[in-house]
Amino acid sequence: MSRLSFRPRPLDIHKKLPILKSVREFEDEEPGVAPIASARAGVLLRHSGAELTAPAGNNATEGEGNPPSKKNIQEIPTPQFDAVDTYERDYTRTFAQPTSYIRGRGARAEIGEFVEYDLDNEDEDWLENFNNERKNINPEKLEVLLFKLEILDHKARERAGAITPTFIGPVPVLLQLDAAMEALQYLSVRYNIFEDVYNYWKAKRERWQKPILRRLQPPPPVNDTNPYNVFRPREKAHRLHTRRMQRRENNIQSFEKLRLVRRNLEQAKALMDALIKREETKREAMTSQVNLQRIQMKYKHEAQLVEDGTTLSGFQQTSSRFESSDDDYADSDDTTTEQPYIRPAVFHPRFPANKLSVIPPLRIKRERELKRRPQQNGWVFKRDPEEPVFLFTRPLDPDKLVAAGIKAPPDPPIENGATAPPFRCRGRIGRGGRIIFDRWNPLLRTPIGQETSCYAPYGHRPPSPEG
Amino acid sequence: MGSMEASTAPENGSAAGGGAGGKACNGAGAASNGGGMERRLRSSAASASWAAHVPLEVGTRVMCRWRDQKLHPVKVIERRKGSSSSSPADYEYYVHYTEFNRRLDEWVKLEQLDLDTVETDVDEKVEDKATSLKMTRHQKRKIDETHVEQGHEELDAASLREHEEFTKVKNIAKIELGRYEIDTWYFSPFPPEYNDCPKLFFCEFCLNFMKRKEQLQRHMKKCDLKHPPGDEIYRSGTLSMFEVDGKKNKVYGQNLCYLAKLFLDHKTLYYDVDLFLFYVLCECDDRGCHMVGYFSKEKHSEESYNLACILTLPPYQRKGYGKFLIAFSYELSKKEGKVGTPERPLSDLGLLSYRGYWTRVLLEILKKHKGNISIKELSDMTAIKADDILSTLQSLDLIQYRKGQHVICADPKVLDRHLKAAGRGGLDVDVSKLIWTPYKEQG
Repeated sequence: MSRLSFRPRPLDIHKKLPILKSVREFEDEEPGVAPIASARAGVLLRHSGAELTAPAGNNATEGEGNPPSKKNIQEIPTPQFDAVDTYERDYTRTFAQPTSYIRGRGARAEIGEFVEYDLDNEDEDWLENFNNERKNINPEKLEVLLFKLEILDHKARERAGAITPTFIGPVPVLLQLDAAMEALQYLSVRYNIFEDVYNYWKAKRERWQKPILRRLQPPPPVNDTNPYNVFRPREKAHRLHTRRMQRRENNIQSFEKLRLVRRNLEQAKALMDALIKREETKREAMTSQVNLQRIQMKYKHEAQLVEDGTTLSGFQQTSSRFESSDDDYADSDDTTTEQPYIRPAVFHPRFPANKLSVIPPLRIKRERELKRRPQQNGWVFKRDPEEPVFLFTRPLDPDKLVAAGIKAPPDPPIENGATAPPFRCRGRIGRGGRIIFDRWNPLLRTPIGQETSCYAPYGHRPPSPEG
Repeated sequence: MGSMEASTAPENGSAAGGGAGGKACNGAGAASNGGGMERRLRSSAASASWAAHVPLEVGTRVMCRWRDQKLHPVKVIERRKGSSSSSPADYEYYVHYTEFNRRLDEWVKLEQLDLDTVETDVDEKVEDKATSLKMTRHQKRKIDETHVEQGHEELDAASLREHEEFTKVKNIAKIELGRYEIDTWYFSPFPPEYNDCPKLFFCEFCLNFMKRKEQLQRHMKKCDLKHPPGDEIYRSGTLSMFEVDGKKNKVYGQNLCYLAKLFLDHKTLYYDVDLFLFYVLCECDDRGCHMVGYFSKEKHSEESYNLACILTLPPYQRKGYGKFLIAFSYELSKKEGKVGTPERPLSDLGLLSYRGYWTRVLLEILKKHKGNISIKELSDMTAIKADDILSTLQSLDLIQYRKGQHVICADPKVLDRHLKAAGRGGLDVDVSKLIWTPYKEQG
């Protein structure tokens, strides 16, 4: 059997399908099977997502083997209808179709003079009673009066701003009898009749709690779920919630919107740039101040050395606010070994000094020598210009460390003969007197010795007060 | 209440009836409980016990004489006290003929019911349980599917139940519209002021509705409309089509919806009419343009619907107007350059009409076409959505899988047979007479 047992490929609606005009064109393959046999149901494709009556096929109304649809149409029974015998009288033969297509006029409400209100049972019953007593108003007139009252009342509510877009509570009657009478004078209705009609209308209106003219009744609120209430407004905003509507369209408004977004972003960027600049400037100012202090201290020591060594006269050692002691320095948390100008070798704690402003050039030279010396130290390298300077700290003394059996961490092993950069670290005295070797600069998060590189993006020029 | 004699008048026969119940149970809808009913019918004592059942409880199943003078199984949906006396026999019952669509539900008097066949709902439940135990899930699903009336496939069971609960009893039994007095088919949510009114009188032209004939006659004297209040966009012979904007003619649109709901089960009046256009088909004579049917269409459809609701009024049904309306909706889509599809669910009658239309249009093309053709091309030629084309051709078994590819089998004899089965096309739409531009939002 050539019948297929696999599922056929889904049908591509863009693919051209051959049309077989003759049964034989496909029968040769399958000689025993009549073309209309429904046995082929299994071969039928299922288009993904398409609702099908097909494969189970033949109980659908238009199933193949039996062509019953015509019969079926007649079999669906429907309720019945009758002719109205008064029709010919009720509807007059007064319509003449124009030769051109009819154009719609405005709605009745806009045209104006049409009396939209039709009396209901209640009105008719009331009118009957009323006329039994006085016999002086016809139904048409009553329709006009009720219609006009409704319109006037609606206008009164409009003026009072009491029109609600949806029905949120009873709609009050705002029209007063006198105002109504005055407005409807031209109808020339006697005052006592008008008063009765007005009272009847008002009573009915208050019972209904809504306008009796259907056009003026507010629709139910959007969130009302009562299925008996109908014709809710559908807010436009609602439609925007669908995904399709949210998709940005390629029009002027979205262009303007995007331009605004761009402008905002550019302003934000400018603001951030200014902020960066300010912070950099602040840091520069801070560094300068620190350097100034360093220099001041340096000069102070220099002056001492000079006094000690060369006993230069003429420099009065006056008492100073900066007087300090060894203990003062030890109070600070951290000390680093790389503060050459406060090395113990040149440190004279009890020497009060403040003659910074009068250091002769000669002393500056010496100071340079002093400064260079610690850089030859094995594990103190380049000074990091960015690192906050820990003033008033006691540096590590390598000799003492060695004596105490403390060594700097060794360089990592070199692998594969690759030339790894020498391992660098920096020692300092940490909190509580611990000795710490930093492999990374704790503030810059870079390996010791490479700190400056990360400042390049900010265009920072490392200040190097020591030349 | 004048509704009773009205709704049953045509088939008021004598209440005496032989127990033909077993025969009536052959109908498809009643197949599941037919056996039990027959047994009960035979075993119950003739008429001695009927008084014990009266008044019948809601939910009772019983045989009822229909307009064809035969007994049909019904289920009591609702009951109400008659006006004249307080006798338990003086009740009217709203019954659902289980073989038929809900549109045939009606108020009946006690004498139409064969009380020998009374069966309360309890029995049915027990039976249902018994059968459900034996059935496979597939069988059960099958039964559920066939049990639910046709045309509701797209609704889930819960929302269907809810819908049936709130529309279970027709509020308006009859309407008068122009030349015809028409039995209504379904519930329609008229304003509460019309609740107690079994018959409504519609103005044929502006579709205002009133409770009394005199009110209508008074209205007809002043009503200035002789045709729907929109633009005429098509005229061929006595047939005219009017386009009415729901925003410009709100009251007319609402009236039309109230009216249409009386004949459409799954039409919703939940939202206002201003987003819709109404295409009202009329037969014109010297009294005016008489509406025979209409379809509505969203001004902007995001799901490419080209039709929301479609209705041919009952007096004009089976004359080809429905097919004309469907064809017209596709002609509008062609003018718009869009592919369209009707909003679902389709009713049983609607589905038949659409299937017929699709079959006719597609098969006429296939008969003439030379060479290969894709579904997309068919769709472009006809404005019929590709899914609808596929489902139509597949249900006719015309798309087959041969040698690893799909082919369309268009044997002229087979096509002719299908075309014959699909029925005649009814009235043709003469495109040259359609003067219309697609709707554009103003401003």
